[in-house]
Amino acid sequence: MDDVITEVRAVVGDPAVPLGADTALIGDGSVLDSMGLVELCLRLEDRATAMGFEFDWTSETAMSRSRSMFRTVEALQEEFSRQLAEQA
Amino acid sequence: MIIVTGASRGLGRAVAERLEQQGHEVVGLSRSTADVGFRSLQVDVSSEASVKDVVKEIRALGTAPSALINAAGIASMNLAVMMPSASVRKVVDTNLLGTIFMCQAVAPLLIRAGGGSIVNFSTIAVPLALEGESVYAASKAGVETFSRTLSRELAGHGVAVNCVAPGPVATDLLKGVSEDQVRSITERQIIRRRFDAADVCDVLEILLDPRSRSLTGHVLHIGGV
Repeated sequence: MDDVITEVRAVVGDPAVPLGADTALIGDGSVLDSMGLVELCLRLEDRATAMGFEFDWTSETAMSRSRSMFRTVEALQEEFSRQLAEQA
Repeated sequence: MIIVTGASRGLGRAVAERLEQQGHEVVGLSRSTADVGFRSLQVDVSSEASVKDVVKEIRALGTAPSALINAAGIASMNLAVMMPSASVRKVVDTNLLGTIFMCQAVAPLLIRAGGGSIVNFSTIAVPLALEGESVYAASKAGVETFSRTLSRELAGHGVAVNCVAPGPVATDLLKGVSEDQVRSITERQIIRRRFDAADVCDVLEILLDPRSRSLTGHVLHIGGV
C-alpha cells in the first residue's frame, strides 16, 4: 500500500485528510479531482521508473477488469504491484 | 522542442520546416524517416504501440517538448456507400485514433514540462459537410470534439488544445480533386480564395506564440466558414 498511499498523500497535500485502503480515487467521495488523478499517475510513473519498471496507467489489462484500478487506493496498489511483478 | 506528425510531406512537412526556420528544435514523425532538415523519427500513429515506442525515443532525447502538432492524416474521397471497409478503417485509424494516441502519449510530457500546446488538424469539410468526404469529415469531426474536450481536461495543467481546419491546400491529399471542385469549396469559405501551406503555418505560429495562451478549445478555419 505504501507506494500509492505515499503518492496520494503528496498530491492531496493536506495531512488531515484520512487515507486508507478503501479511499476512493475516482467517483463520489474521491479525494482527488481530475487534475489530481493525472498528477498521481505521473508520480507513480516516476516512482516506477526509479524502481526499474514502467507503470502504464492506460493498460488494457487493468482497464478491462470488472472495475477500474483507480476505484480505491488498494486496487491501484494491486495494479502497481502487478505491473512491477510482471516486469521483474 | 516541437513534435510534428506527418512531417515527411504535405502540411506536416511545411509546418516542420517553418518552425525549424523560426529557430525551434523540431522532431518530425512520419511513417518513413525522410531526408529532411530536421530530426526525423519513424512512427505509425495508428498503432498505439508504435506511438508509445516513439515517445520513449523522444523522452530519451532529454529535451522536454513544448508543443505537439498532429498533422498526420489521410484522405479517401469517395461516396460513403462505395467506400471499402478497409479504407474506412484506415482513415479513421490514422486521422482520429492517431491523433488520440499521440495526444495521450505526449500530453504527460507537456504536463511535466509545466504546460504547452497541442494543435490538431481538422478540415473545412466538417462544417461544409462536403459530399464525397463523409468518412474523412467524420474522422476529423471526431478530432474536433476530442480536441475541445481534451482542452478542458488539460487546461488546469497549462496545456492548450486547438484545431486548425484548412480548406483545399495543394498537398497530396488533394490528388484527384479537380480545379472545379476546389473552386466550389473555396466559394463557400468566407474569404473566397484558395490559401496555401504558408497561411496554415502562419496560424500555427500564432497558436504556438505564448501570447496565445488564452486560446484553447478552438477550431480555426483557414479562410473562415
